Amino acid sequence: MGLGLLASRALRSSRILRSPSNGGPTYFLRTIVSTPELNNADAAAAVQGNPPPPPDLPKRNPVGGARVHFPNPDDAIEVFVDGYPVKIPKGMTVLQACEIAGVDIPRFCYHNRLSIAGNCRMCLVEVEKSPKPVASCAMPALPGMKIKTDTPIAKKAREGVMEFLLMNHPLDCPICDQGGECDLQDQSMAFGSDRGRFTEMKRSVVDKNLGPLVKTVMTRCIQCTRCVRFASEVAGVEDLGMLGRGSGEEIGTYVEKLMTSELSGNVIDICPVGALTSKPFAFKARNWELKGTESIDVTDAVGSNIRIDSRGPEVMRVVPRLNEDINEEWISDKTRFFYDGLKRQRLNDPMIRGADGRFKAVSWRDALAIVAEVMHQIKPEEIVGVAGKLSDAESMMALKDLLNKMGSNNIFCEGNGMHPNADLRSGYIMNTSISGLEKADAFLLVGTQPRVEAAMVNARIHKTVKATHAKVGYVGPAADFNYDHQHLGTGPQTLVEIAEGRHPFSSALKNAKNPVIIVGAGVFDREDKDAVFAAVDTIAKNNNVVRPDWNGLNVLLLNAAQAAALDLGLVPESDKCIDSAKFVYLMGADDVNLDKLPDDAFVVYQGHHGDRGVYRANVILPASAFTEKEGTYENTEGCAQITLPAVPTVGDARDDWKIIRALSEVAGVRLPYDSLGAIRSRIRTVAPNLLEVDERQPATFSTSLRPEVSQKVSSTPFTPAVENFYMTDAITRASKIMAQCSALLKK
Amino acid sequence: MASVVRGIFKSIKEKGIGNFVRELREEGYVSCLADGNLLQTKIHNIGATLVGVDKFGNKYYEKLGDTQYGRHRWVEYAQKDRYNASQVPPEWHGWLHYITDHTGDELLLLKPKRYGLEHKENFSGEGDEYIYHSKGHTLNPGQRDWTRYQSWQPAKKE
Repeated sequence: MGLGLLASRALRSSRILRSPSNGGPTYFLRTIVSTPELNNADAAAAVQGNPPPPPDLPKRNPVGGARVHFPNPDDAIEVFVDGYPVKIPKGMTVLQACEIAGVDIPRFCYHNRLSIAGNCRMCLVEVEKSPKPVASCAMPALPGMKIKTDTPIAKKAREGVMEFLLMNHPLDCPICDQGGECDLQDQSMAFGSDRGRFTEMKRSVVDKNLGPLVKTVMTRCIQCTRCVRFASEVAGVEDLGMLGRGSGEEIGTYVEKLMTSELSGNVIDICPVGALTSKPFAFKARNWELKGTESIDVTDAVGSNIRIDSRGPEVMRVVPRLNEDINEEWISDKTRFFYDGLKRQRLNDPMIRGADGRFKAVSWRDALAIVAEVMHQIKPEEIVGVAGKLSDAESMMALKDLLNKMGSNNIFCEGNGMHPNADLRSGYIMNTSISGLEKADAFLLVGTQPRVEAAMVNARIHKTVKATHAKVGYVGPAADFNYDHQHLGTGPQTLVEIAEGRHPFSSALKNAKNPVIIVGAGVFDREDKDAVFAAVDTIAKNNNVVRPDWNGLNVLLLNAAQAAALDLGLVPESDKCIDSAKFVYLMGADDVNLDKLPDDAFVVYQGHHGDRGVYRANVILPASAFTEKEGTYENTEGCAQITLPAVPTVGDARDDWKIIRALSEVAGVRLPYDSLGAIRSRIRTVAPNLLEVDERQPATFSTSLRPEVSQKVSSTPFTPAVENFYMTDAITRASKIMAQCSALLKK
Repeated sequence: MASVVRGIFKSIKEKGIGNFVRELREEGYVSCLADGNLLQTKIHNIGATLVGVDKFGNKYYEKLGDTQYGRHRWVEYAQKDRYNASQVPPEWHGWLHYITDHTGDELLLLKPKRYGLEHKENFSGEGDEYIYHSKGHTLNPGQRDWTRYQSWQPAKKE
């Protein structure tokens, strides 16, 4: 007879002797815990009853290296976590106190950006003088509270909760996409029991159709309601809800309905189990096969921080990266799901259009020789360069230098209009900063629909409106908002009314402490843009929008390249340059209007996708996409960030700046840089703020320095700047998932 | 011996001398004069039963009775000049090596229709184009396309 068996026999007999036997026979007690003292809560409590050892414990650090912020130093209270004293601000929960003490409490329903639900019970801890274990996520910490996270009672409570959760959870981890990054998997390994007592049939739930992005396997759902809270609190759509009670409880949309939010992909990240997973990523890869590259999103001007997960030469998925100042921990659906566009319609060989109008693949040497030859035959003022909306700062710098060396100064970035004002940086960036929007209490949106132009900025506005009931006034075409707003008018006339104080909303702006005005970049393309900006400046002056401690005058840009292009001074010499151009260099520019271009003009298209720009091109030079190169992008709030190459380039493609550098050599106007570092030192002489990576550089001068304009606003109403949220640039237009989204979700 | 000579004369009479000589060459009676292995097989064949012929033309003989056990099954290869053991297809291999008593013709009925590959003899030393290359090998003509992107096709001009 082994020692273990002996011990268990002794244990069982002693239990029978001790148990009070309340009527029922207690001769068979099956233990599910392996540590014997846990079988008896009283005994366990008695063991713990001893005075705790004095806190000579080593210094502990908060979970994830978080810093504690005390809004008011007087409100600090002290609690003890496992005997270790920590100082926390008043109003924190027990779970947050434990995190600051460096103890990670297991949780499913608690998420620090969502409201507290307290329904999963996984975070149970023992609190001294409390008769039962308490749910730490919902319990406010009180002064002197003695929290115990490692006692047998807490352990047993977690084991019990885990057993209940696993009761109805399917055992399909091998075919589950969450496998490897599943909270339930990890926590059942760490805190669960090694066996269950459930022998009945498991519950099964019908899967819901939430659209083309989110795949549901509702049987796996543990009813943490994170997705429900996310949809209503962050995404601002009341699409999801909880139906039924008890074992009939399910998450659903009540009526058959797709989830129509531009942030719906984030429920994939917050779902702690595999109930909500990514539909395009389903069964494609395991997370441990993927290589993560920390990069920047370029599909809009927000510059969300993303991690590009790749396997070999393929981008497998895109997930958000935490950046409190820009995207918190969310990203828009476009950012998350456009990646399949990177694999379609790629330009992989240099091509020249022959006499018969067909493209023929040639070598780089031939392609560059032809471009250089044509470039020299054309008068300098007839050379035009257009930077695309996905261009990085380095290649725009190189293109501008090349054209200047050729004698032309006609270079611009699409989306900035033909006569942009690049003199005052405050006139085209978001001066309040994205995180600064949270302090605002009144918004005036001029010709911008942030929900489709910059979904993450919209999420901030939604957060602010939800928290402070800030008033939102909107001037522009009828648009979809997910928060309360007043539609003030459709044209710039309304702005003049507000500026003159004749409009009812002007009093709301006047009474606001931190008013914010956001002008959409679609205004740049208007004829009367200076008058519109003058009206906005007047509103700002009348309502004290720009103060030393507050700058509420913003421009919301549309494209990733815009801010850097204006910083680098990509301003065309004449606004009619396209009409008289004989040589056009399109660097990824697909949306520039080439209707007026003369038929005999020679067009070079340098880019990564065979999109609109290619069809007019005479020579195609294949370039790398942003996932394949290192490049600086400045977002709409003036924060420069760097993308990193995650996958190799396709075919014979090269980095944008390298192509221009090679072309300059062939054309005999050699650019003086051979590396990214050298280009950046060139950028330092033009726009040094682009080198301050990951740090927002506020504008130095305010827009009040703008010259007076005599222009009058026209009566043309504002037009939507983005027609289709899901398809805005060459990559997203090539994406099948985005095409599916725009077919199904765009009403 | 006399019966052999009589048989020869009989077939010369039936087929004519030209056909007889050609058949003699095809059946290897000419090359066996220089090839001892083949000659021994031919001598062995006298009085043995022909069990079957596979799809390549290899003949399988068996002689029970006065033959030493373990040497009572053998093959006469179809090719008389260049023969080696890898020319025996898998269905006959078992019978030939006393693994089974089922002949190749019987075992052929068990061969799966859909994914069973044709037997190929070992072409080592015969040149790269004959040698088996795995599906990832550069020299495999049916190599997989590992391109993970779809390139833009200029033919799709509007």
